[in-house]
Amino acid sequence: MPGVDLPFGLPEVDYTEYSNRQLVAVPLAVLAVALLIVGGVWLTTGAPVDLGMEFTGGTEMRLQIDGENPQQRIQQAFTAEPAGVQPVAGSDVYIVSFGTGANSEQLETQAENAGFGVESIDSTSPSFGSEAQIQAIGGVAIAFAGMSVLVFAMFRTFVPSIAVVVSAFSDVVVPLALMNVLGIQLTLGSVAALLMIIGYSVDSDILLNNHVLRRQGSFYESAYRAMETGITMTLTSIAAMVVMTVVATAFGIGLLSSIGLILVFGLTTDLLNTYMLNMSLLRWWKFEGVNR
Amino acid sequence: MADEGGTWASIKENWRVVLLVLIVLASVFALFSPTLAPSTDTPGSTANGSAADTGVTNLQFGLELSGGTRIQAPLVGVHATGVDIPEGTERATIRQGVAAGLENASAQDVAVRFPGEYGDTTQQTTVVEVRTANVTAAQLDAALNEAGYEADNTYNRVSGITQQTAVTVLRQKVNEAGLSGGTVRVVGGDVIVVEVPNANQTAVRDLIESRGQVLIQAYHQNENGTYVRTTVMDSDDLRQVGNAQQIQGGQGAEVGVVVADDSAEDVQQRFVDTGLAQEGGTECSYEQSPNSTEPCILLVQDGQVLNSFAVDEGLAEPMRTGEWADDPQFRLTTGNLSTAQEVAINLRAGALPTELDLNQNSMLYVDPSQSDRFKTDSLIAGIAAVLAVSGVVFARYQRVEVAGPMIVTALSEVVILMGAAAAIGYPIDLSVIAGFVAAIGTGVDDLIIIADEVMSEGEVTSQRVFQSRFRKAFWVIGAAAATTIVALSPLAVLSLGQLRGFAIFTILGVLVGVLVTRPAYGDILRSLLTGKH
Repeated sequence: MPGVDLPFGLPEVDYTEYSNRQLVAVPLAVLAVALLIVGGVWLTTGAPVDLGMEFTGGTEMRLQIDGENPQQRIQQAFTAEPAGVQPVAGSDVYIVSFGTGANSEQLETQAENAGFGVESIDSTSPSFGSEAQIQAIGGVAIAFAGMSVLVFAMFRTFVPSIAVVVSAFSDVVVPLALMNVLGIQLTLGSVAALLMIIGYSVDSDILLNNHVLRRQGSFYESAYRAMETGITMTLTSIAAMVVMTVVATAFGIGLLSSIGLILVFGLTTDLLNTYMLNMSLLRWWKFEGVNR
Repeated sequence: MADEGGTWASIKENWRVVLLVLIVLASVFALFSPTLAPSTDTPGSTANGSAADTGVTNLQFGLELSGGTRIQAPLVGVHATGVDIPEGTERATIRQGVAAGLENASAQDVAVRFPGEYGDTTQQTTVVEVRTANVTAAQLDAALNEAGYEADNTYNRVSGITQQTAVTVLRQKVNEAGLSGGTVRVVGGDVIVVEVPNANQTAVRDLIESRGQVLIQAYHQNENGTYVRTTVMDSDDLRQVGNAQQIQGGQGAEVGVVVADDSAEDVQQRFVDTGLAQEGGTECSYEQSPNSTEPCILLVQDGQVLNSFAVDEGLAEPMRTGEWADDPQFRLTTGNLSTAQEVAINLRAGALPTELDLNQNSMLYVDPSQSDRFKTDSLIAGIAAVLAVSGVVFARYQRVEVAGPMIVTALSEVVILMGAAAAIGYPIDLSVIAGFVAAIGTGVDDLIIIADEVMSEGEVTSQRVFQSRFRKAFWVIGAAAATTIVALSPLAVLSLGQLRGFAIFTILGVLVGVLVTRPAYGDILRSLLTGKH
C-alpha cells in the first residue's frame, strides 16, 4: 500500500480494513433517511421542501428605520402581519416579509407613512410563483437527466456510471432533507445551487472513476491519488462557499447566501458519497463484478 | 529558452499563456476604454442620462445593483391555432359565434387572425384568440366546436404575434414616458419582463397596467334618434402625435395629431356621416345633458370618457368640402396636462393587444441607495470567497510557485468574464456575481487537478512527461466542464428570471476556463516545474 498523505493532515484511511458492505451502509443509510424526510414532507405538504416567497407568493421589503424600537414600530406600521423581520448586520435596515395576502403597493404606502425608508420591495403573486415552482422542479429533473446521460456516455460501463449518478442523486436529496430539518426555505438561489451541485459534485466522482478505470497501477494507488486531489478540490470549494454564505448572510444578500449554503450541504454530502459509496461500488466492480 | 530563436521560440512554446494575456488585455480594454462606453441614446431619454451608468468601468449594472423597478407578468388570453373556418365567413360572425359559447367573454374580447404575414412572422393557419381573464384553452376549444369551427390546437397563453405586438407597444410606452434605459423582453416563452431603472413601482405600474387604448369617438343620434358612439379614429389612423401642452391663455391641455394620408378621407367621411361636421359646427353638452346634446367628440381611453368637446365651424367646413383631408390636423383637448401626456404616450405607442396579467406577477423595486450597498456588499462577499480559496490552496501546496499562479489564473478568468459582460453590455446583477464566484470555484478545482496530475509520480523532468500528464488531467477537466454546462443549461432558458445571469456566466466561465485559462496555467506550471525559463 503506497503511503499517500491526505491533504491538510487528514488521518489516513485504510480502506482494506472495511468491507464494501460496511462502507456502503453509511451513505445509503443517510440517503434513506433523507429520502424519508423529503418524501414525508412531499406527501404532507405537496412540495419536497418548504417553498420560499418566490414560489408561494408574498412580499419582502427592505426598510431603513431610524430611531428607537424599530421592531415595535414595524409591527405597528402595517395592517398585514409581517411573517418575518430580520435585521441586516451593520446597518439600520430590516428585511420584513409578508405572506400572500398583502398588496405590495399598499405596503409601500404604509411603510412611507410610518417614516421608513423603502430600500427595496420584492413581491410575487401566488400564481406566478406556482409557475416558477413547476419550472424549478422541471429544471432540476432535466439537468439531472442530462448529467446522467453524459456520465454514461463518457464511461460506457454500467457500475462506475451508476455510482456517479447515485452519488449525485444523494448529493441533491440530502441537502433538500437538511433544508427541511433546519427549516430553510427553497429560494431561486437554492434552485441554482441544486443545479450547481449536479454539475459540480460529480467532478470528484469523475476524477475517482477516471483514475481507477483509465490509469495503470493498483486500485488503491489510483484511488488514493484521486482522493488526494478530490478532497483538496471539494474542501477548497466548501471553504469558499462557507465564507460567501457567512458574509452574504450578514449583509442580507439572500441570493448569494442561499446559493452558498446549499452548495456547502451538497459538497459535504459529496465527500461522504464519493469516498464511501462510489469508492466501494468501484472496488466491488473492480475485484468482483468484472469477473462475472 | 536556451536554443536559438530566442523570444520567438519561447512565445511559440508558451502560446497559451500569450493568448491568455491577450484576452485579459482585451477584457481590460472592454472594461475601461472610454471608446466602448455604453451608449445612452435611448429614444426619449432626457438630461438625466442612462440610469445604468457606471462610473469608472464600462460595466452595466442590472436592476439590483443600479436601482429601479422590474415587473414580470404574462399577457392575459388564450388562443387556438389551425381553426377551420368556412371561406367567406365574416370576422364579426366568428367573434360573436365564439363569444356565445364563452361565459366570461364578449365578442370584443375575441380576435380572429387569418393566415398571412404579420411583422416578421408568417402565420400559416387561422388563429382565434380570446383576450380576457377567466377563459381557459379548454373552454375556448369547446366554444369553437359549438360554433362549428374545429381547432387543431388550443393554448393557455396568447399567440406569438400578439406577444410581439405587446412587447413593441410596451417598449414604446416605456420610451415615450421618458423612463430612460427601460427594457422590455420575454422570458420562458410567455412572461413579459419590464425593467425600468430609477423608477418606482407606481410609475411603472401606471404605465403598463392598462391597455392604453385611446379612441376618438362621435357621440351622436342614429336614425332612430338614440344616442350611439361611433369610433371616428384611433391610434392606427395617426401619422404624427405632437407633444402635450398647456393651452395658451386657456384652461386644460391639448395634443395635436396629424392623421395619416390613407386614413384621412375615411376619417373625414365619418365626421360628416355622424353629424360632427354639420353646418355651423356643433354645441356639445355631453356632460350636462347627454340625452339632448348635439353631436360631440369623445376622447375615450380604455373605455373611460376623458373629455367631450364640440366641433367648431372652422373644422367642420373644410371637412364638408373635403379640403381637410389635404391637411388632416386635429387637436385633442383634455382637462389637465398630465392626462394629455398620458393620451399622447398611448396614441404614439398604440394600444396593447391585451392586458398584462398583474394578478399573476412578480415585482421588484430597489432603491438606488440600496443598490449601492448591494454593490459593495456583494463585492466584499466575492473577495472573501477568493481569499478563502487562496488560503486553502496555499495551505495545501505550501509552494508559492504552484498556488500563486493558481489564484492569478482564477482571477484572470473573472477579469475575462467581466470584460465579456462589458463588451456585450450584459447588465451585472447579484446572480451574475454569484456566477463569477462559481467560475472561480470550478476554475480552481480544475487547476488543482492539473497541478496534482503534473506533480504526481515525482519530479517533472521533461517536456514529454509534462505533456502526457497534462493531457490526462485534461480529460477529467473536460468531463467535469461538460457536466456543469449540461446541469446549468436549463436555467439559461427557463423563465426563473434572475437566475439566467448566473447560468450564463457560470457556463461562460467554464468555457473560458477549459479553452483558455487552464491550458495557460499548464504552461505556466510547466515552465516553473521543469526549471526552464
